[in-house]
Amino acid sequence: MSLASEHGRQLEHWNGVDVTVDARPGRGTLLPGGFSTGRTTTDHCDIIAKIDIPGPRFCHVETSWLRRLRLVSLLALMFVLLSVAPQAARPPQPGAVPADSPATRHQAEVAKYCVTCHSDRLKTSGVSFEKISLAHVGEQAEVWEKAVRKLRGGMMPPQGAPRPDAAAANALRSWLEQELDRAAVAQPNPGRPMLHRLNRVEYGNAVRDLLALNVDVPSLLPPDDSGYGFDNIADLLGVSPVLLERYLEAAGRISDLAVGDRNASPTAIVYRVRQDASQDKHIEGLPLGTVGGTAVEPTLPLDGEYELRVKLFRTNLGTMRGLEYPQRLEIAVDGQQVHLARFGGNEEIAASSDNPTTAGNAVDERLRVRLPLTAGPHKITVAFLAKPSVQGGRRLQPWQRSSSDTVDFAGYPHVDTFTVAGPFNPTGVGDTPSRRAIFICRPSTADETPCARRIITALSRRAYRGLATDADVQRLLDFYVAGRREGGFDEGIAVALRRMLTSPKFLFRAEHDPDTLAPGSVFRVSDLELASRLSFFLWSSIPDDELLEVAAKGRLRAPGVLDQQVRRLLADGRSQALIDNFAGQWLYLRNLPGQIPNSNEFPDFDDNLRQAFRRESELFFNSIVRENQSIVNLLTANYTFVNERLAKHYGIPNVYGSQFRRVTVADPNRMGLLGQGAVLMTTSLADRTSPVRRGKWILENILGTPPPPPPDNVPPLKDKNTLEKPLTMRAQMEEHRANAACASCHKLMDPIGLSLEHFDAVGKWRVTDEGQAIDPTGQLADGTRVDGPISLRQALLRRPEVFAETFTEKLLTYALGRGAAYYDQPAVRAIVRDAARDNYRFSSILTGIIKSTPFQMRKKPVPEGEVAADRVAAR
Amino acid sequence: MFITKMSLPRRRFLQGVGTAFALPFLDAMVPAATALANTAATARRFGAVFVPMGAVMDKWTPHATGAGFEFTPILKPLEPFRDHLVVVSGTNEPSEGTHSRSVSAFLSGSAPKRTEAEDVRVGTTIDQMIAGKIGADTQFSSLGLAIEDVTGYIGACDTGYSCAYQNTMSWKTPTMPLPMETNPRVVFERLFGRPGTPAQRLARRRLDASILDSVRDDAAELNRGLGPRDKVRLTEYLENVRDIEKRIQRAEQDSENGLTLPATPVGIPDLYADHAGLMFDLIALAYEADLTRVATFMMAREASQRIYPEINFMEPHHHVSHHRGEEVNLSRLVTLQNYHLQQFAKFVKKLASTPDGDGSLLDHTMLLYGSGMSNSDIHSPIGLPLVVLGGQAVGVKGNRHLQAPTGTPHANLLVDIVNKFGLDTNAHGVSNGRFEI
Repeated sequence: MSLASEHGRQLEHWNGVDVTVDARPGRGTLLPGGFSTGRTTTDHCDIIAKIDIPGPRFCHVETSWLRRLRLVSLLALMFVLLSVAPQAARPPQPGAVPADSPATRHQAEVAKYCVTCHSDRLKTSGVSFEKISLAHVGEQAEVWEKAVRKLRGGMMPPQGAPRPDAAAANALRSWLEQELDRAAVAQPNPGRPMLHRLNRVEYGNAVRDLLALNVDVPSLLPPDDSGYGFDNIADLLGVSPVLLERYLEAAGRISDLAVGDRNASPTAIVYRVRQDASQDKHIEGLPLGTVGGTAVEPTLPLDGEYELRVKLFRTNLGTMRGLEYPQRLEIAVDGQQVHLARFGGNEEIAASSDNPTTAGNAVDERLRVRLPLTAGPHKITVAFLAKPSVQGGRRLQPWQRSSSDTVDFAGYPHVDTFTVAGPFNPTGVGDTPSRRAIFICRPSTADETPCARRIITALSRRAYRGLATDADVQRLLDFYVAGRREGGFDEGIAVALRRMLTSPKFLFRAEHDPDTLAPGSVFRVSDLELASRLSFFLWSSIPDDELLEVAAKGRLRAPGVLDQQVRRLLADGRSQALIDNFAGQWLYLRNLPGQIPNSNEFPDFDDNLRQAFRRESELFFNSIVRENQSIVNLLTANYTFVNERLAKHYGIPNVYGSQFRRVTVADPNRMGLLGQGAVLMTTSLADRTSPVRRGKWILENILGTPPPPPPDNVPPLKDKNTLEKPLTMRAQMEEHRANAACASCHKLMDPIGLSLEHFDAVGKWRVTDEGQAIDPTGQLADGTRVDGPISLRQALLRRPEVFAETFTEKLLTYALGRGAAYYDQPAVRAIVRDAARDNYRFSSILTGIIKSTPFQMRKKPVPEGEVAADRVAAR
Repeated sequence: MFITKMSLPRRRFLQGVGTAFALPFLDAMVPAATALANTAATARRFGAVFVPMGAVMDKWTPHATGAGFEFTPILKPLEPFRDHLVVVSGTNEPSEGTHSRSVSAFLSGSAPKRTEAEDVRVGTTIDQMIAGKIGADTQFSSLGLAIEDVTGYIGACDTGYSCAYQNTMSWKTPTMPLPMETNPRVVFERLFGRPGTPAQRLARRRLDASILDSVRDDAAELNRGLGPRDKVRLTEYLENVRDIEKRIQRAEQDSENGLTLPATPVGIPDLYADHAGLMFDLIALAYEADLTRVATFMMAREASQRIYPEINFMEPHHHVSHHRGEEVNLSRLVTLQNYHLQQFAKFVKKLASTPDGDGSLLDHTMLLYGSGMSNSDIHSPIGLPLVVLGGQAVGVKGNRHLQAPTGTPHANLLVDIVNKFGLDTNAHGVSNGRFEI
């Protein structure tokens, strides 16, 4: 026999109130009296947790309320002196709240359902409600916002523990929300974004908009860290010596490329085609009548000669693929054929079997051309001319992917690398879009300075986003003068440009607090600051002249102006950035290139399908934005965008060709984002699905209730190769439930993920897994039963405001460039409430965010302890 | 040894003299009262050069051990450096893995974990251990170069082993492979900045320096009205400005001191000797300019399919390496292995003829050259072909051929090498002792 006390602490305590009433009617008479009420709680949760008894655990036993009256006298209450001596603070300070107020009622509910685990002693997940009063919810906004989130997801109290009915839980949640919102209106806290360094994308876009120059930023700058799901979070955009060095270097390269550097020495850019790309079909964007190949868009530094070189793919054994039949390869610049090479056929296949290396090299020698090209951007394509299928493709091609067998040298040839080298014998800087954008004037012979000043003033105005001072212009002019001395007018401008692109005023988005305001005060950001916030939100770039003009005149907040500017920015092509960067990260589209499905399990999968997944989800999100649809349609829309490759994958008939088009989705399982390959694949592993990842993704990105990270030292699922009989995914998931440490979160994630098991790791529909029928049934955290994608979608959208809140919070995070904090939640709810009246249309959420407190305002920090406090808040 | 002299402010000096630097090491620039041992003059360097697919051992291994051995057909190009050279015979690698092990165990002394997933593991390589010890004062703690770029080639690696094992010979930690750079231009620009004459480069650095100097004014203006956390970040930015200014100053001294820089490479040369020669030149320059003290170079990739038309080696290397004992293949391999050593010997010659402190660069450098297998036909890990070159300053006593006792792990040699660079360890990878050279 072992005693419970050997395993841990068992607590027995009395919670209650003892009120003593002493009356002094006079002359020293003391009439003592009073009452007490309370109940005894026995708690052995500590022990239960250690000995790990499975099943529901009622470790916490409470007696009903016992009352004791010590009434001696009710006399002379007007002289009564009340002394309240609570033995424990529950309920705290009776009398501060009227007995029948909602606060009291809800306090009792919290005490009944929450404090069991969230007590001062257990502090489950670091939260205790034991001493927190509901009389002033706003004062404890941070902890109550957490509670609201858990209630909203139906995640607390957990299944198996006593739970209030749904109506009561909802009532508690809405009451808490009301209280929190009321407090936020009375005392708004817009927070403040940190000094914001431009990330890689923003830097590249700013250069594009400033200088009409597309630069390959990844080759110039190191990648940025991301957090809260996005890479534009100011907190994480730190600086390092390497980074600054790269900025310095990038500024030099960019200014030379934009202005034209006559001394530019030849360089070679090598473009590599992914080895898992199929090259036996037409590729979107390449000339019609071709198959395979690639398109590149270099910006050439000078007018001069350039060499274009193609290297074809060799198999594992060094044999060039595709020499079996005669082939033709075409190189075209801006749509004009500049080279047509013939190779392959009997002689060459014979030579290749004799010596694959020399034969292959001899072919590559013919796939190069040297020709004069002008400076500036060009589109260069390289592709094979299509052939009758008998001679072109493989005689028997088992898979969609034309390159899956690294030994097979039959079928179409494949481009491996494409090199653009030059300039050789340069003839001049040419007439490029960049030069036209920069040189808005040419100097008169007499005095060049006025024109230089004009150019520099125009550039710095936009580069510094309307905040360039006379001193700034003068400093840049000093550099112009130094450069002018060395190499003429153009060189002067290039040097000034280089100085400008290195300035912290370009690299950092800073917002300044007015000196006149007291620390802690909340105020509207200036119009120019708002203009920057807008353009970086919608364009991931600097404001244009019109936006700066409106802001500089102080008219950005004039009636109708803000709406009109938002509409204008959104209609501009630059707003593609919102799709690329917001949707690209929210939907994990950016992870696609790194997703490499195991080619033994998925021999059909190729890069063409990967690209199609990305295009599909981008076009789909784009359609919701452009058509101002309800964001609920993101989950329910009965249409999508496919090309032939993707349609085949989804089993949609009658779609031919490489271009994308909108099609109706007849299969309800496939509707909305949860039926799209991008989401399904990026939440899978290389060789199997991951219900956990899918569940987690939905909890995080659709329901807004991300599960905590897993505990340490959890063994992986058994490798299916080591098992005698393969386990189905469901059987593997059952192992999670067996372990109590895992079960609490996995019972939230797994059922969601398992309901999508009909989609394999590359998003293809299937009916069996490891030879056994798929069982997509399960029970969600709130008890709803699901049996596949359709019922999952219905369950997720039973309360569409939950998805709307999650979406809004994500978009707000992206808009602000900081993690959404508890004090942003009232704003999120307000936006969603307003959007609900407009059927959650995209524009209502977007304008809601733009007009929200955190987007429009800022809080001046309180000096002491501000650093620490802000960090906590942003977490 | 201590020097007590006035330290000459470097920038003012440079401004006065312009670009005419003659002396590679200026006594006047050694800061006053600094131990000379701490400055570049007597810095020690380490280099490891890897060749794939072993060697034809009876044409590699000298017949006699000890001093005065006769150079074999393959090793012949190294004969001029006899006094700086130790041939180490008879050490073994672990036997797991074939081509992937040959590369990844070469400096780690460990067998690679069999996996194709992201959980790769082999062992920290000695170049990184040595870099941790002697690389801190230079601009680059180490430099990793290779000839063949194989990124994106899925399926061209040992069955069951990740390509990471074959793509690099340098691992910062047991699980962190360091990518190797194959493009000489990228290496060059990293070391010396963008192309141009020395004067142009100097002008560019001067411009960089003055830009950095001037952006302080922008930062000061920006600083007004910022919150405390913003100010912290802006201060970090300014600290970085100072860091880079220092590095630019170091760069002005380091790389323009009479160095003759080769023309900036356009890209990757087609001819092997040109490519390898450029890479070796860049390593030599980086040593000379004290930009780095540790370099690794993979002269070809394991299982390489390369052909070498310039020496009439017209069949892919990997094919020929499975020679089946046929004379025609063996003689081809001897030619190729000798050719690789010719390229290496040019590099050694360059180090031997570059003055450095009280001797030559070679006197202050230790180089390990060799392969991770012996007989390529069977991927044999027994009796690896290895040579160590260097000077007394790094503990290399030349003109010797050492035969290790049977069964000695080559990791024992690696232990001795890191010991010679002052790392106090008695174990590395699968070592079971120290093999002292």
